[in-house]
Amino acid sequence: MFGPALSSPVARTTSHKVVIPFYVYAAFSFLVATVLLLISGGAFTGHYFQPHILAITHVMALGWATMIILGASHQLVPVLIESDLYSTKLGHLSFGLAAVGIPLLVYGFYTFDLGVVAQLGGSLVTAAVLAYCVNIALSISESKRKNVHAVFVFTATLWLLLTVSLGLAMLFNFTAFVLPQDSLYFLSLHAHLGLVGWFLLLVMGVGSRLIPMFLISKYSAPRLLWVVFALVNTGLVLYGLLFLFHAAPGLSFVPAGMVLLALLLFAYYCRQAYAQRIRKKVDDQMKISLLAVVLLLLPTVVLLALIGVLLASSSAHANVVLLYGFTIFFGWLTAIILGMTFKTLPFIVWNKLYSHRASLGKMPSPKDLFSERVYRAMALAYLLGFVLFGCGILFAFPILLVTGSIALLITAVLYNWNVMRLVNHKPFRK
Amino acid sequence: MNIKTNNDEKCETGLAALRFVDDPEIGLNIVDLGLVYGLEFGEEDERKVACTMTLTTEFCPMGESIQSNTTEALKMAFPGYDVTVLITFEPHWSQEKITEAGRLFLGG
Repeated sequence: MFGPALSSPVARTTSHKVVIPFYVYAAFSFLVATVLLLISGGAFTGHYFQPHILAITHVMALGWATMIILGASHQLVPVLIESDLYSTKLGHLSFGLAAVGIPLLVYGFYTFDLGVVAQLGGSLVTAAVLAYCVNIALSISESKRKNVHAVFVFTATLWLLLTVSLGLAMLFNFTAFVLPQDSLYFLSLHAHLGLVGWFLLLVMGVGSRLIPMFLISKYSAPRLLWVVFALVNTGLVLYGLLFLFHAAPGLSFVPAGMVLLALLLFAYYCRQAYAQRIRKKVDDQMKISLLAVVLLLLPTVVLLALIGVLLASSSAHANVVLLYGFTIFFGWLTAIILGMTFKTLPFIVWNKLYSHRASLGKMPSPKDLFSERVYRAMALAYLLGFVLFGCGILFAFPILLVTGSIALLITAVLYNWNVMRLVNHKPFRK
Repeated sequence: MNIKTNNDEKCETGLAALRFVDDPEIGLNIVDLGLVYGLEFGEEDERKVACTMTLTTEFCPMGESIQSNTTEALKMAFPGYDVTVLITFEPHWSQEKITEAGRLFLGG
């Protein structure tokens, strides 16, 4: 018992220097996206394939959602796989490449000049994702324990690599014919590889670990999670095959149904974790994260409606397609990020500032590092903005689009305010 | 609560001090959270205390902080003692280890 060492070492966590830049970049991207939404609101009454919508979509998909997920996963993957991150240098490299590449790509879309600048941006983003994939693969290969959550995360990174590789090919296809069809043809395949393969699979893998952990729940159902994993991946592979072999649109119900079933099972998993929780007081951040699980079902319902409309009229209604994309990027993904940012970032900052200031004197808790009042105001602005803008798209009503985008801009400002307050926090004692 | 010790009196003193060490995420102290497995003391004039404890998960981001706060708490409870804090995952922590007082705190 009384060996020479004073303490046995605890596992090392990923340095905040790797993680925090991703969060700050993502917060700024959300602000940029909502500004673009406000000044380009009119675009949302027309067709979805137009420069400003492509720019907003990529700010949201890459700058906002992917950057924050990359940042958080550098911190959370070691928790999931119970092993160190393989390389912090690769983490810095991923950030640097993506941070430069995303604005170049978005500028290209916004001006619809898809030449050298946009292609350079796309290439940098692809290189960033490749560095991330290598880092995750090597981290998992060195882990002692393999679990269902780690498999979700690793598979999601492979889908992400495929998504950005196809996106890069589509980009080059505007100036040189590298694909057998025009780029617009591949848009839905590119989008669904990213949405289902990357975002959905990753959120399910991480969420299925974190939700019971934060709720201190007794519930555990790895078999159910394997079924969810199989349904999502089989559905996505099937969708890809149907797409490549030009199958009848009606068959799209099959992969969409498989993903919907996976979503329902995942929602059931979260419901059970919530019901069997020991921690009865659920904070606002967890509430909004659980709301995101419900919001997951919304895009699927819209997608099924879209396939129905497509079958009935043989042409997709542009507003339903736009609503589908909006409910994913500004609905489900944004809700889960707004919730999880303030469940993860305060701890990263707190660890940076207070973990070596051990004493019996009471220190601020991680929750004290950001404003709960501002967080609540942000959540209200978000819900209002989401509903108003979504209705604006559905009914092509400009006033709703403008008021909705103002509320979403306020959401982004309040979010940035709290993130900046957190990352600029100076140590103090209660 | 089943804590291994070789000195009940000193163990009570140690546990009282460790009740001031919170898990920063949960807000509950490490004793009622069930993280402390043992508090053992050196023979008579041997001024040593060893705390065996766990974390809620092996790569707990708060692990380093909890460990150093535990060390500081024991140093204050037993001035002049050599303090050892051993982190173990045998057995792993589970929700069943939370005490009744801990469950009440969490609203259960």
